[in-house]
Amino acid sequence: MGLLSLVTFIPVFGALIVLLIPRQNEKAVKIVSAVITFIPFVLATYMWGQFNYTMSGINNEAQFQFVQHFKWIPAYNIEYFIGVDGLSFPMVWLTTLLSFLAIIASWNINKAVKGYFALFLLLETGMLGVFVSLDFFLFYIFWEVMLLPMYFLIGIWGGPRREYAAIKFFLYTLLGSVLMLIVMLALYFNVKDPVTGGHTFNMLLMMDQSNHSGWLLGVDVRLWLYILLFIGFAIKVPIFPFHTWLPDAHVEAPTAISVILAGILLKMGTYGLFRLSYPIFPDVAVKTAYMLAVLGVINILYGAFVAMAQKDLKKMVAYSSVSHMGFVLLGMSTFTDAGMNGALFQMFSHGMITAMLFLLVGVIYDRAHHREIDGFGGLAVKMPIFAGVATLAFFAALGLPGMTGFIAEVMVFIGTFSVYRTLTILAVLGIIVTASYILWTVQRVFLGKLNPKYENISEISGRELFTLVPLGILVILFGIYPIPILNLFRASMTHLINLIP
Amino acid sequence: MTGFYIALIFFVTGMFLVAVTLLFSRLLQTKKPSPDKYLTYECGELPQGGAWIRFNNRFYIIALIFIIFDVEIVFMFPWAVVYGKIGLLAFVEMFIFIVVLLVGLAYVWANGDLQWVKPRPKLEHLPKAKGK
Amino acid sequence: MTASEILKMMPLIIVLATPLITMLIIALHRNHLTTMIVSVIGLVLAIIAIPYSKALDLTKIGELLIIDNYALFYFLLIFTATIAIIIPSYPYLEMRFKGNREEYYLLILTATLGSSVLAASTHFVSFFLGLEILSVSLYALISYLRQTNEGIEAGLKYLILAAVSSAFLVFGMALIYSQTGKMEFNALMQFFSNSSKLNLISIVGLVLMIVGFGFKLAVVPFHTWSPDVYEGAPAPVSAFIASVSKGGILALLFRFFSQYDVLNSKPLFLIFALLAVFSMFGGNFLALLQTNVKRLLAYSSIAHFGYILVAFLAGNNAQNFKGVEAATFYIVSYFITIIGAFIVVGIFSTREREAMSVSDYRGLYWRHPWLSVAFSAMLFSLAGIPLTAGFIGKYYVLASGIDNQLWTLVIILIVNSALGVYYYLRIVVEMFSQPEEAAETKHPSPSVGVMTGLILAVLTIALIWLGVYPTGVIGAIKISVMGL
Repeated sequence: MGLLSLVTFIPVFGALIVLLIPRQNEKAVKIVSAVITFIPFVLATYMWGQFNYTMSGINNEAQFQFVQHFKWIPAYNIEYFIGVDGLSFPMVWLTTLLSFLAIIASWNINKAVKGYFALFLLLETGMLGVFVSLDFFLFYIFWEVMLLPMYFLIGIWGGPRREYAAIKFFLYTLLGSVLMLIVMLALYFNVKDPVTGGHTFNMLLMMDQSNHSGWLLGVDVRLWLYILLFIGFAIKVPIFPFHTWLPDAHVEAPTAISVILAGILLKMGTYGLFRLSYPIFPDVAVKTAYMLAVLGVINILYGAFVAMAQKDLKKMVAYSSVSHMGFVLLGMSTFTDAGMNGALFQMFSHGMITAMLFLLVGVIYDRAHHREIDGFGGLAVKMPIFAGVATLAFFAALGLPGMTGFIAEVMVFIGTFSVYRTLTILAVLGIIVTASYILWTVQRVFLGKLNPKYENISEISGRELFTLVPLGILVILFGIYPIPILNLFRASMTHLINLIP
Repeated sequence: MTGFYIALIFFVTGMFLVAVTLLFSRLLQTKKPSPDKYLTYECGELPQGGAWIRFNNRFYIIALIFIIFDVEIVFMFPWAVVYGKIGLLAFVEMFIFIVVLLVGLAYVWANGDLQWVKPRPKLEHLPKAKGK
Repeated sequence: MTASEILKMMPLIIVLATPLITMLIIALHRNHLTTMIVSVIGLVLAIIAIPYSKALDLTKIGELLIIDNYALFYFLLIFTATIAIIIPSYPYLEMRFKGNREEYYLLILTATLGSSVLAASTHFVSFFLGLEILSVSLYALISYLRQTNEGIEAGLKYLILAAVSSAFLVFGMALIYSQTGKMEFNALMQFFSNSSKLNLISIVGLVLMIVGFGFKLAVVPFHTWSPDVYEGAPAPVSAFIASVSKGGILALLFRFFSQYDVLNSKPLFLIFALLAVFSMFGGNFLALLQTNVKRLLAYSSIAHFGYILVAFLAGNNAQNFKGVEAATFYIVSYFITIIGAFIVVGIFSTREREAMSVSDYRGLYWRHPWLSVAFSAMLFSLAGIPLTAGFIGKYYVLASGIDNQLWTLVIILIVNSALGVYYYLRIVVEMFSQPEEAAETKHPSPSVGVMTGLILAVLTIALIWLGVYPTGVIGAIKISVMGL
């Protein structure tokens, strides 16, 4: 055993190795980092092979897989408690995959190389840790550990306004963490471990409903805590009023970091809602579900319309993320089988698609050194392969049948339609807007007359293709045959829905 | 509380007596001021110069050292009284006390603070005056 | 006095003997390096004596001192901190001071002695003696660089305010003595606990004493001296004031009230709560406006002592020591970070001036990556970011606050730590932003000595170690606090 710990901590050991490599040897740093990130991916794939599809997890320790459970800081009953279930495992696997690809995509970093790769590896441990933690304190620590490398990666290796973007990202996320900290402490002092009788940070024990109740200022304390926790996660998703850090961070971050930010970090918000908010406060979640659905639809429509108005390609992709995360929220607000599974599938699928989009933007930016959508034109003539891959990714993003985006959206709509009819219709309108801005973008960048400035633009390189092709294959593969992924979710989601009153 | 009252009575009586003496002398004295009488009392010597001159701060160091050893004597009086009762331990303690002070004396001595004419002015760390 | 009592006091005696020996050595042969090494050896010997002293059974030394596990824990903390301050002082003084550098170590050692006496005292007399030994040494230390105007100004300010606060303290002691007829802490507190209601004079006495404590700890509204003193004093001395000096007084504060339930005493609770709230808000808001790193650290230190007071309120007496435990852990982490931060400030000082402006640190990462990483770790710990000791400390304080349902204080603390992050982050941002080529030459580019680098590395590792695995230290603190 200990496989899961290995997956989680190999990157941070890799970071130490990277720090020991002499500064001049940049090539070695890159190769070592690539190898190091590849190992967790292999291990995670192996774990997928061992994964028991019938075990549900959620609030039952016996139903978790690859569990490790030790005392860590006994003074406060803090435990080292990790494990995966159908909810977290797909995200773990996706994280290891995207981290490896993002390392490959960072090959052209040439400023303070050692620092970049060490921080990146630390970031990977943070992300994996968030997905595997089953102790709230551990979860919080990993959540914050993620924050610091991200701050530096944006703040040092980012674009021209990187410092502003980095500090904005940091302060927004920190606000979220502080709220989460309050909830964590409040839960700690209300929850008792049935075995030892002491307080505990064990998430699974927090899900025992008899444990916490009370009133504060005339309102159920559970509602207060749910709202605080929700805001904490909403900042990460980001849900509509808290989204303003996202375009800045995305535009300024280097390509690989945008990939991680959009591919993994955004999912942590919704993952947190699934992992913590829903099972700990199921009654409140049901009561506020309509609000969540409304916020989801706002995200879909607002994100899509703002994306349409963007002139900067990367900003367009960033806002499209806001729009697509809306589907996750909409799906999870239904508490139906189709809706919940659809939401999870959308998380998984959007992780791959948006990663492709950001990689593509990176490719084009490296050549043209700008991202003005109107500044290109007819690139398909000079870069046919690139245009082909890009079109695939864009079509996946707009939900073309045969690709994962379609499956996810259809499942969400099936789930939603029976519950919120009006909202579903509005959300479907969002799809139309999405289709229009994506097609319009494809047309402006790749079709039409070739912009004479790019007469000599070079075709996509082998390395860049290497980062894109696996994702492209997976998007199509799981788009045609989504059963392997859906099987991962099924048991956990059924169990979670049963928990909801 | 009685102890405090006795102290208070003692204090008030003392003040009263002083005040009475001063009052009587003010009433009975003759007043014939002359410049000599207004001179500062310097044990019979004629004072020279004003009192607001700059003192050499070596006086200050010497005075400090003097006070330290003066206080040492103050400590030694009660020690001498109880010496018979405590015995050897008292001797050792006073020995340590004096050694501590002697270390201080050695330090002061080695730094040349006991010499009135200091041979080696070290001024390089002070900021240079302009114009020099 | 028996032989075992002398053995028990060995750490204190060694710290007392070290300045004497150092003084003799200066008299015989004046050499900066020798003096430094002798002082370090003395402190190391004192640390070695601590476990032997712990092994002995008796604790009380006469009426005045008590050397229990709590005192020994603080001895260890204070001595280690002093070593960490003394070693980087050597290159600092070599660079910035041309006069007699050796006496600096005498003064630091006597100040350390004063601080450790405070941690061990159980009586007004030893309390006052310790405090004066500490303060008098600090007057001279603060203005040690006597060629600078700021240094002299800072020394004078500290002299006047420390004297005033001592006066308050003594007056408070006198009033309390007049009511209780006792000067021994435990007897005093038993007297207070047994009397159902404190009378006016005792309360005034306690308040005056708290004013004295407040001055020494620099909590708002008694904080006005601290930014000026931190700014004017040499960087290692600032580190000493922020850590060792305040730590000793805090240790005494905890012991003083250890038999008295502050939480359930209306007037005292109110006073301490107000001090805590004012300090947190005052310290953080004033720090937000600062561009001078030393002043910023001074204000942030005010805020940190506000946090510590919250922990103190959340459980300070024999029934519930959780709060003191939390505060002690917080002090340990705070010692590490603030000393580390001031060491970095000291390293960047040049012959002419100290690196005080935030802009001096611009682009530091590109010139001194390791140094900037260490400094960032310190700042993150001060900000309370996870995986650093500061986070565990802050968490510990919060948990003890919530445990006692001090909701208002806890929420204020959380709001303030969020405020704090902003200004610590500003320095970090400066360090990691890329400098313009032209400005490159303007910045000091110091060389870090081996020993200083080592100390900084040890502090950084300790910081992260405590952040990841604090169990050992928490256990030690639990044991030491239990005997209070």
